[in-house]
Amino acid sequence: MSGGVDSSVAAARLVESGYDVVGATMKLFCYGDSVPDRPCCSLDSIEDARNVAHTLGIPHYVLNLEDRFNLHVVQNFVDEYSRGRTPIPCVRCNSFTKFRDLLAHADALDCRYLATGHYVVARDGGLFRGRDPRKDQSYFLWGVDRSVVARMLTPVGELTKTETRAYARRLGLVTADKKESVEICFVPDDDYVAVLERHLPADAPALAPGAFVTTAGEVIGEHAGFARYTVGQRKGLPGGSTEARYVVAIRPETREVVVGTSRDLAGFRVRLSEVNWLAEPLGSGDRCTVQLRYRAAAVGATVLSSEPAELDLALEEPVRAISPGQSGVLYGPDQQVLGGGVIA
Amino acid sequence: MPLPIYLDHAATTPVRPEARDAMLPYLGEEAFGNPSSAHQAGRVARAGLDRARRQVAAAVGADAGQVFFTSGGTEADNLAVLGAALAGRDGGKAMRVAVSAIEHKAVLAAAHAVAHLGGSEESIAVGRDGVVDLDLLDQALTRHPTVVSVMWVNNETGVIQPIAEIGRRCQAAGALFHTDAVQAFGNLPLTLADLPCDLLTISAHKVGGPKGVGALVVRTGETIHPLIQGGSQQSGLRPGTENISGAVGFGCAAELAAHEQPEHARRLAGLRNQLRDRLVDAVPDLVVVGEASERVPHILNVCVPGADSQALLVHLDQAGIAASSGSACTTGAAEPSHVLVAMGLPRDLAIGAVRFSLGRTTTINDIEGVAEEFPRVANRVRALAGVLSRG
Repeated sequence: MSGGVDSSVAAARLVESGYDVVGATMKLFCYGDSVPDRPCCSLDSIEDARNVAHTLGIPHYVLNLEDRFNLHVVQNFVDEYSRGRTPIPCVRCNSFTKFRDLLAHADALDCRYLATGHYVVARDGGLFRGRDPRKDQSYFLWGVDRSVVARMLTPVGELTKTETRAYARRLGLVTADKKESVEICFVPDDDYVAVLERHLPADAPALAPGAFVTTAGEVIGEHAGFARYTVGQRKGLPGGSTEARYVVAIRPETREVVVGTSRDLAGFRVRLSEVNWLAEPLGSGDRCTVQLRYRAAAVGATVLSSEPAELDLALEEPVRAISPGQSGVLYGPDQQVLGGGVIA
Repeated sequence: MPLPIYLDHAATTPVRPEARDAMLPYLGEEAFGNPSSAHQAGRVARAGLDRARRQVAAAVGADAGQVFFTSGGTEADNLAVLGAALAGRDGGKAMRVAVSAIEHKAVLAAAHAVAHLGGSEESIAVGRDGVVDLDLLDQALTRHPTVVSVMWVNNETGVIQPIAEIGRRCQAAGALFHTDAVQAFGNLPLTLADLPCDLLTISAHKVGGPKGVGALVVRTGETIHPLIQGGSQQSGLRPGTENISGAVGFGCAAELAAHEQPEHARRLAGLRNQLRDRLVDAVPDLVVVGEASERVPHILNVCVPGADSQALLVHLDQAGIAASSGSACTTGAAEPSHVLVAMGLPRDLAIGAVRFSLGRTTTINDIEGVAEEFPRVANRVRALAGVLSRG
């Protein structure tokens, strides 16, 4: 229970269905020292979750998973940017923190299921896109262990966001009209560079000046650290060109940010690593659709080669700005999540 | 769910029916008046307030004129430490306070506030036994603090401090001595007249009274500075219309607590010792905190090696058992208690601390219930810690 409306309604629906529900809020990071006026002990989200749990008549606990979250999510976030990649910490959190460490807590309490407010549908051991296409969060869940899917309850997966809010209002939950959180939870004000600055040494290459180079190898300017850039980004690049310029690659070993045109961003192939399957693994020649960015459309793809943790895909149409570190999620014809991996 | 077992009396106690009944007239039309008013309604309220003050005074062996009602222990601690420091400054002395390292946050934060206001603070360390080091106290006294604050009984460990000796040394050095007696009151004999103590804090809700009322007992002749500005109520030291119903409930509970103290302490010591023995039998590597020291009868603090207290409390709660990790932070802070750290407990051990605190309503059934559940809970939480330490 994050203190948001989705997990609030998830808990409420389970209580209404007669489940014996234990509410838990994960405490994942603390800015108590750096933000003195907002000590973590009074974070509003915890208060809101507690309030909702009380309204529903269920116990509520705050579980401190700060060390684990830092180890598996925050460190990876910093490492990935240091390698010139663009990570998705929510994927790591789901794989390592929510559906593994939190599940260990649930196991210890003899809980049979772990329920969340994700807009996905867990059904018969398989994971499917949520019904509301604008809210579907299946993109972030490809990395959970396949055996865990059978223990997932997804009570809002069949609802639209509007329905979720209406449900919360009907029950008088304090979170009914709470503003949507779109930030990464541990990145205040969307300033991810500030997080990197806090975790990396002052002389870290990722934050050190380097060259902007064109795809032809011409140096056209200097940047203040490649970690500030993402493939597909247009902002913060040198001008002086008639055609719009984009970041098309990042070369951490030389600290170069490669600048090109929109044509240079089109990709026809993708290689995934850390591959995890939530259905029977695909083999060479198998077809599926693949989604390469949150909220992007999935495109048709054919498996070129499949190794235990690696997958090469040929895309049936070009995809713009395929970014290393983002996820590639494979879907079947019935919107089932077949598996996924990290874009290499 | 089994019947709930409440072993968190050091956090708060249920309001005694006698105290509740005594309060009711002051919450209705019968005695709603303002005690400062000159009319009949005011006189009725004044009579209730005066009686409550006499009851509290008698319960701690003080005079009624020495009792100043506050909103609770935290305010009384603040009034003592900050009020004494400010009064010292008015008298031309440096604002300097010395407080033990194991004080309640109310005292620690008040000492910080003194420093923030331009004064200075000093922390007096405790030994591994949880008792204030008297040599270090003497050293602190050579630096002439305005006020020294050492709690009578530590709220987490139950360890009793040698406050008579501390008070004598403070008096000899010309420093005021304040003691937070919140956990001592009702559990130890307490007579201010016999103590070399200038300022003493007590709280109603730890002894069966209502929340929101406490008192600072001030030895006659000592002047301290008010922290709240207002009218002339309570000699101007604590202005504002008095919380009459709270004071009346406090008076009733205090009187009963003082009267029952010897038998109460004897009974709880027996139950606490049984709990200690049963838990140590069931969990052989359990560490009893402050075991070698003199302790109050109602507190048992144990550390489960390899477990963390947050998870222990969750599992105990699921088993219907209310306990605490010491100082209450309900949002799952993973930091070990400052008290256990000050006693030199290793961090790994200190994060596995659980405080059981007994009270008037505790029975042998509660002890047996905990003794039955605790080994299972300890094992589960240790196993969980093992799972969570994987890569």
